[in-house]
Amino acid sequence: MFRLLEETGFSRVRSAVVPRFRFRKESTQNSAEAYGVKAVMMTALKPDPD
Amino acid sequence: MTDPASVQASLELTLKDEIVRMYQEVANNPTGEFHFFHGRDAAQLFDYAPEWLDRAPASAVASFAGVGNPHERSNLQPGETVLDLGSGAGLDAMIASWRVGRTGRVVGIDLNPAMCLKAQAHAAASGAKMECQEGRMEDIPLPVASVDVVISNGVINLSFRKRRVVEEMFRVLRPGGRISITDIVSAKQLSQSIVNDPKLWAS
Repeated sequence: MFRLLEETGFSRVRSAVVPRFRFRKESTQNSAEAYGVKAVMMTALKPDPD
Repeated sequence: MTDPASVQASLELTLKDEIVRMYQEVANNPTGEFHFFHGRDAAQLFDYAPEWLDRAPASAVASFAGVGNPHERSNLQPGETVLDLGSGAGLDAMIASWRVGRTGRVVGIDLNPAMCLKAQAHAAASGAKMECQEGRMEDIPLPVASVDVVISNGVINLSFRKRRVVEEMFRVLRPGGRISITDIVSAKQLSQSIVNDPKLWAS
């Protein structure tokens, strides 16, 4: 997502992990961790040419 | 031989049905068990202000199925136009409406027309001003450069065409506009068995 935002033209792309996000079921959480799945917060700006 | 584009289109259609079904289920049966935390407990976990949760209709809070708090860094200002991609039962759109005030505008987009009606009813009951349009995030039904801020909460990960979604957000934003989104990302390529299973993908 971070890369997609930059490639599309967004500037000042920032991301941070949502610290307390977890899946409710332990088995889902374990699978998610195996794939490096996490919740992130992202902000970005559409540049203003002026 | 099957055309890959038609396979993709068929998968997208099945996925759309599964997404509509799953999130409708959260709204209809908020006490049910899902693989994700939802409702007030989840919103509190992500630091939603208690006064927002008290002010919103209980059924809107109970249906909350976000993965974070896009309001934390949205810095919404009075008078701004906000787009909530995947507005669901409307909690995030309602909060946005309170923050941009009567001179602002909040538009929700959701796949499910029934959820749009629910979100608008929730907003009206809480004194918020919100319009909701049925639509897809890959083809946002708004004009070019018509929005100051895009917010979204746990929705973009559901799309097979994320680049298209990002391009659409860029298109509808005014120059100088911004996004504040929370979503699920994966550090590794998901296996084909997950990609081909609408239930797992919608999760």
